[in-house]
Amino acid sequence: MFPCVLVYNYGEIMEINTIGLTAAITAFLSIWIGHVAVRKIEAASPVIWIPTVASILLGLVTEYCSLLTNNLHLKTAFGIIGVTLLWDALEFTRQQKRIIKGHAPANPNNPRHARILANSNFHATTHDLLKREPSGKRFTHN
Amino acid sequence: MNIFGILIGILTLLIIGFGFPLVIRGERIFGYVCWPYMMGIGISIIGASLFIQNNWLCVIIAVIGATFVWGSTELKEQAVRAELGWFPFNADKVKIPFAEIIEKWKAPHL
Repeated sequence: MFPCVLVYNYGEIMEINTIGLTAAITAFLSIWIGHVAVRKIEAASPVIWIPTVASILLGLVTEYCSLLTNNLHLKTAFGIIGVTLLWDALEFTRQQKRIIKGHAPANPNNPRHARILANSNFHATTHDLLKREPSGKRFTHN
Repeated sequence: MNIFGILIGILTLLIIGFGFPLVIRGERIFGYVCWPYMMGIGISIIGASLFIQNNWLCVIIAVIGATFVWGSTELKEQAVRAELGWFPFNADKVKIPFAEIIEKWKAPHL
């Protein structure tokens, strides 16, 4: 799967260790995909307990796969993906809190978000306030 | 069965957690234009991990590198969060080399 790469180092042949590279790529991609997936699924799902439970189960299965495999690269990748999925389960609730605070755009077509938008105690909005370029100045509504 | 993968997963979560103050402080002090520096540091750390023979240390160092790379993609959004008042805003940022050039580039955002 990963070719053994050798480099010449001060007269000695040393092996390149790609296990860290596997971990770095897995961490980056799983966080990226998880980040986007949580936002999209939370915006579309009428209830958050289903994606939360699904994410927990997937995370646990992935961690079990990490235990079963003897391939060190797969073991590492599954370990990181599993923990990311378990964290994503928590992120569904955190994302809903962002919607309530208006820090993430609410989806008016989602009945759960529509209820949040209708509640005057919340600051929910359909606008994505983060979708702008930094100006270097404090943002004002004027 | 050994728990190397599970422990690495937990360690990754903890290391990524340290990425949040890195992004918040980095943006507050230098502004989002420090993103190429943060990305360069991250890629260099991942590159350095290739030469570490101990698997634990190799993975920990590489994940620290990945945290820097991920952090570099979060800086632009963090700058907007600070401008919106969701985080403390610092108008008097430390000027970093080549800031004028970097400002013309499109900052990465995932």
